[in-house]
Amino acid sequence: MSSENVEDASSDEDGQQEKETGTFERLRAVFERVRRRLPDRQYWKPLFWSLGSIILALLVSALMLTIMGYNIIAGFEHLIRGALDQPDRIIQYATPLVLTGLSVALAFRCGLFNIGPEGQLLIGSMAAALLGYMISLPFLIHPLTCLLVAALVGGLWGFIPGLLRAYRGAHEVVTTMMLSYVAILFTQYLASGPFKEQGPYQWISQTTRILDTAELGKLFGPYAHWGFGVAIVCVVGVDFLLKRTVLGYEMKAVGLNEEAAEYAGINPKWNMALALGISGALAGIGGAGEILGTHRRFLDGWSGGLGWDGITVAVLGNNSPWGVLGAAIFFGALRAGGNRMHQIAHVPIEIVGLIQGLVVVFVAAPRIIDWMGRQSVESIGWIRKDTKKAIPGLVVLGYNLFGLFLGLGLAASLIPVNPVNAAFPALVGIFSGQAAYRTLARQETNIGLSLVPATAWFGAAALDAWFGGWVFFNTALIMVIVGSITAVIYWMMQALTEQPQGGAE
Amino acid sequence: MQEAELIIALAGWLLKATFMMSTPLILAALGGMFSERTGIVNIGLEGMMLIGAFSAVAATYFTNNPWLGVVAGVVSGALLAGAHAIVCVKYKGNQIVSGAGVILFAGGFTTLMLEVVWGVKGVSDSVRKIPNVIIEPIREIPILGVAFGSLSPLVYIMFILVILSWYVLYKTPFGLRVQASGEDPAALDAAGVNVERIRAIGVLLSGAFSGLAGAYLSIAFASEFGKLMTVGRGFIALAALIFGNWTPVGCFLAGTFFGFLDGLQFAITIQPEFGFLLEYVNFIKMLPYVLVIVALAGIRRSVPPKAIGSPYEKEARA
Repeated sequence: MSSENVEDASSDEDGQQEKETGTFERLRAVFERVRRRLPDRQYWKPLFWSLGSIILALLVSALMLTIMGYNIIAGFEHLIRGALDQPDRIIQYATPLVLTGLSVALAFRCGLFNIGPEGQLLIGSMAAALLGYMISLPFLIHPLTCLLVAALVGGLWGFIPGLLRAYRGAHEVVTTMMLSYVAILFTQYLASGPFKEQGPYQWISQTTRILDTAELGKLFGPYAHWGFGVAIVCVVGVDFLLKRTVLGYEMKAVGLNEEAAEYAGINPKWNMALALGISGALAGIGGAGEILGTHRRFLDGWSGGLGWDGITVAVLGNNSPWGVLGAAIFFGALRAGGNRMHQIAHVPIEIVGLIQGLVVVFVAAPRIIDWMGRQSVESIGWIRKDTKKAIPGLVVLGYNLFGLFLGLGLAASLIPVNPVNAAFPALVGIFSGQAAYRTLARQETNIGLSLVPATAWFGAAALDAWFGGWVFFNTALIMVIVGSITAVIYWMMQALTEQPQGGAE
Repeated sequence: MQEAELIIALAGWLLKATFMMSTPLILAALGGMFSERTGIVNIGLEGMMLIGAFSAVAATYFTNNPWLGVVAGVVSGALLAGAHAIVCVKYKGNQIVSGAGVILFAGGFTTLMLEVVWGVKGVSDSVRKIPNVIIEPIREIPILGVAFGSLSPLVYIMFILVILSWYVLYKTPFGLRVQASGEDPAALDAAGVNVERIRAIGVLLSGAFSGLAGAYLSIAFASEFGKLMTVGRGFIALAALIFGNWTPVGCFLAGTFFGFLDGLQFAITIQPEFGFLLEYVNFIKMLPYVLVIVALAGIRRSVPPKAIGSPYEKEARA
């Protein structure tokens, strides 16, 4: 009560000040009020981590592509354009990812790591594919039945490790993973053995096509199907479960502190088993949706790691339902654009998998992102406080970053032609990278940071002329000149800033 | 009479197949043991094997010396493990998430590089294999001759590494520190040992071992790199590690058993006598996974290191 009064008083004071001061202060007061309404700063941190890891992963993969000798600018241009041009593709790719992501996220909120959504997805999709052609039901009821049964079967695949974890202490990371492989092998057996489609020219391991009544219709465009609607319903459902129900509250309590939850009268074992069960059910629905909406039959190996991607999605979405939706759409876009990038810019599609892996590694250690965030905040403060020193520092940084890309790119293009000669630009690239790191992380600004790389470029040029026959001599010489000019400018700035001080003394 | 000869030939052949298939599993499991005994979960064995397999083939392709390929495999596995160590040990990140990231990264990276180096999507060019060690005098002995007559030197290196790991883990100060780091890191810290360093070394060792396992697969067992060629062997190695109770001898025995199942499968697909089992190959493949679940469910006690999976935060000193 008293704190509210204090706050009221302070806002009154703000109001008085508003009248006294100009528009700028008034704007600031409005901004303050908006900020007070927004959730706590802590709330934004996961978003910051996710975005930071995406940026970091994109940077690292861009560096790798440069080393491999691809044109990254054209690549990323077509990546973005390809994603914007085909929203239906994005939705199609995102649909199963939303569900497998939700599956991992829900288990995680209960303190469990479901690492086997792949198996739950496959076993669920197999159930849906079989029901899809074996029984005949009217429209609407048929797909719903398939989805429901897939949820039950997938749920069973999650419930077993849940029970084992709760009552026998078997670690769910291992059991879900192992059961996932069991499911992969079992569905493979079913698709190539008992339920293989029969026919004179039938060699592929696949089941019979599902009936028309079981199909999920198109949402829009040629690819997006109603499975996305199901996925949205699941997002809302899981959000509701976690925020508004007793069960969700208990699950979260168990996830935060198992012993405390037990002390408060919650049965942690049952909650754990149930959480993994629901988690498996979600993955099962994801698999069924793909079968009913896209593939129309169970094809051996159709999933291609959707379950694994679910881990990525959940991790990036910080295990919150809406975050998962956002992350799934991001990865959907990455794939849709990746296809275009592959077709037009000839950058291999595998780069998408690489970016995914890097994102996960970076999200795993939020402290890396925190560190970088702190560094950049400090850097901005440094630029504001010490402009005369910071601006040449930034020029040097830009020069060195460019040198890093150029050196590694040159080295990559030279490896097939002349591997020995490629070592020189590679070394210079590493030098430049190190100098850039020193500027960024330690805010060092001294003349050496541009002089040393320039000298290194000079050395590389000389060695190239000596051994390799003038392959990149001109480029290296330009880098030498630019580096020297930067150093001179830096020195002049330094001299200018120091003179008045000397005069004062 | 002919039947008896056939059985003897088959037994020898199966023994050889067991050695051949179990080597990568045992190597990766031993690596995983070093990491997990220091207290860092490493589900990324699969990824480290994959990158080791790729680097081995690439290095052999460029240098035409398979032994340099082995070195490249070991080093690249350790490098990837280094990333895992930085995330898990230095920045105290989530070990399972990081391991999953390692697997995803390795899958993407090796497939990408396959296209970059050879310009193909599926399988790389063939490279020189590590020549087998051929022991002439025993080649005539019925079962042993087939089994040991011609094996890859890496198989023998695997035997040596099992013994060495056992010795290092139980008989050296370093091994004791590894164990303590996984059981009670605070006590180790109190004894004045740098826990983070021990853990980092453990993770690096796991990468080196897994890289060697990958190199075995690509340039000793096969002679090329195929897309995602480890096909879940890293996970089976993880299963062997758990089934073997996180001990070197246990890893060896469990790895040999799972390798035997792998070899049996191989026999079924190529020996017509076993043709009737062909339909059930998938169930034989399932066996290691099911066995691990059964083992963890309590038929057999398996006790992981106590402090596994939790990053060690040094308490602030007064």
